[in-house]
Amino acid sequence: MQWYVIFKKEILENWRNMKWIWVPIVFILFAVMDPITTYYLPKIMDAVGGIPEGAVVDIPMPNANEAILMSFNELGLLGVLITVVIAMGVISGEMKSGVYELILSKPVKYTNYVSAKFMSLALIVFLSIFLAVVAGWYYVSLLFGSIDFTKILTSILFFSLYFALIIGIVIMVNTWVQSPGVVAFLSLIIIIALNVLTSIYGHIFTWSPALIGDYIGEYLHSGVLSTEIWYSALMAVIFTFACIQFAILTLKNRALQ
Amino acid sequence: MALLEASHLTKTYKDISVVNDVSFSLEHGKCVALLGPNGSGKTTTLRMLAGFIKPTDGNISFNEDRLSKDFRNYVGYLPQFPVFHNWMSGKEFLIYAGQLAHLSKTEAIKRADELLDLVNLKEVRKLRISKYSGGMKQRLGIAQALIHAPKLIILDEPASALDPIGRREVLNLMRELKKDATILFSTHILNDAEEVSDEILLLNEGKIIEQGSMHELESVQSTVTIKLSFTDEPKFIEDRLKEIESVFKVTRENNDYFLTVHDLQIARKQLLEVVHRENWQLTRFEVAKTSLEDLFMKAVKK
Amino acid sequence: MLINQDLILLLLPVLILQLILLVIAIIDLIRIEKANGPKWVWALVIIFINIIGPIVYFIFGRRP
Repeated sequence: MQWYVIFKKEILENWRNMKWIWVPIVFILFAVMDPITTYYLPKIMDAVGGIPEGAVVDIPMPNANEAILMSFNELGLLGVLITVVIAMGVISGEMKSGVYELILSKPVKYTNYVSAKFMSLALIVFLSIFLAVVAGWYYVSLLFGSIDFTKILTSILFFSLYFALIIGIVIMVNTWVQSPGVVAFLSLIIIIALNVLTSIYGHIFTWSPALIGDYIGEYLHSGVLSTEIWYSALMAVIFTFACIQFAILTLKNRALQ
Repeated sequence: MALLEASHLTKTYKDISVVNDVSFSLEHGKCVALLGPNGSGKTTTLRMLAGFIKPTDGNISFNEDRLSKDFRNYVGYLPQFPVFHNWMSGKEFLIYAGQLAHLSKTEAIKRADELLDLVNLKEVRKLRISKYSGGMKQRLGIAQALIHAPKLIILDEPASALDPIGRREVLNLMRELKKDATILFSTHILNDAEEVSDEILLLNEGKIIEQGSMHELESVQSTVTIKLSFTDEPKFIEDRLKEIESVFKVTRENNDYFLTVHDLQIARKQLLEVVHRENWQLTRFEVAKTSLEDLFMKAVKK
Repeated sequence: MLINQDLILLLLPVLILQLILLVIAIIDLIRIEKANGPKWVWALVIIFINIIGPIVYFIFGRRP
């Protein structure tokens, strides 16, 4: 009941500050940009000219799977950035402004407070990813060729788990410092570190959630879900849960100070 | 039976004790002022009572507390500088606060309407809080503290930051509230404490240095100071004054004499007799009652 | 044949989304009490910087 009250308040707040509109639109634009420009770039260069007679412009046209993977990669970069930014003040902002003190003077359970905020953010981000990838898939189907839609849906599900982890990390950092800007900075450092470590030791950490994007690429190509993608997904869920728990504990301990 | 008992409350941050062995009890239906200069530990004490921070030592017991260890169910708290979700309307925020305190939506709406009436915000209930004035925000803050009908209302400096009109509004509201609630409020303004409280806890450097009802405090300190001035310097005046039975202290400042007495009636009679007998040229006889202010200054300087 | 009917049809949904983004950013800018900086500067940013303008406004322009 209390959880739902906080969750509903978050949903309403995100409606009034337009997040429900602009975040999905921006995600969609990110996802369709690359397939469209990739398709039209050779044609544009052709039309513009300036290429010496006889020179052969040979830009290989990606296949449909490669094209939709561009959408995923774009979301994996810019989408993550937007996710960090929309989550950076979700708790730290309330602490900084002081409204936190009023809310927590009511018998609010920290578990409810943190998890409701997590879920409200996850809902926006998941919806945005879904709409974005489907829009990307639409353009890829038109320009590059068809892809099985169930493959796309499965990919979206796995991809969403990586974003859940991103939100979890940002929420955890939210409880450390009171400045949203610093929260975004620290969160990005953690996310970059996770990706860098994974790319260096990828052969060891085959279960790293940061590899979900790569595994989705393999899955789109082969049509088979590897064991690794399941492990990565499991790890994403575990890490997300750990981040949320850690955030709850941090807030509880802060209250006891 | 007391509503709340705090015993030996202590709060230490890195070896610095902000609140030091504070004990008191709050009776049902009383309005108690926690009075002290800035930095005396008022806010920390209130936050411990509101269940925000845990005391380093000592404990707080609510006698109503049978169901839950979470004090926040029984306490309505107004921080010194209340901040709201500014994108909500006043009414929306009250309903939200009520639901957070486990009221059903219908109850919360009903309660919000009652309180908006009480704190006189009915006209602006649909307006976004960002458009509210300081006084309106303070009243909304009081309303949100009351939303779950708490046993105890804790107000941190409820009137200190307001202009005279806002301050008057809040004090009137507190006078209204104390008819059927227990209030504990902090202030560094003596007038506010004097005006609305039944009891005073005087706090300085984290310790309670005086406590009691207004009446008790006044009678304990009910020494009265009389100021005397003369046209000339009478002979042996200090000795003669000290001989007066009811006078127990004489001090001199320039040409004025200050007599500290317990009972004004007797002292006046005896004093005037002496003046008459000695034929002193008395030009000024002034009675200065010891106010809370003196008490405060004395206690703080101690 | 670079700008043919197919291309316009293809890009139409994208253009509409961009337009919605721009419009809601402007609506929001009008509605909010105070922006993080002069409102007219934000209006210029939103209108003249394609896609990025509205995004930057939503992230930095609304007062926290």
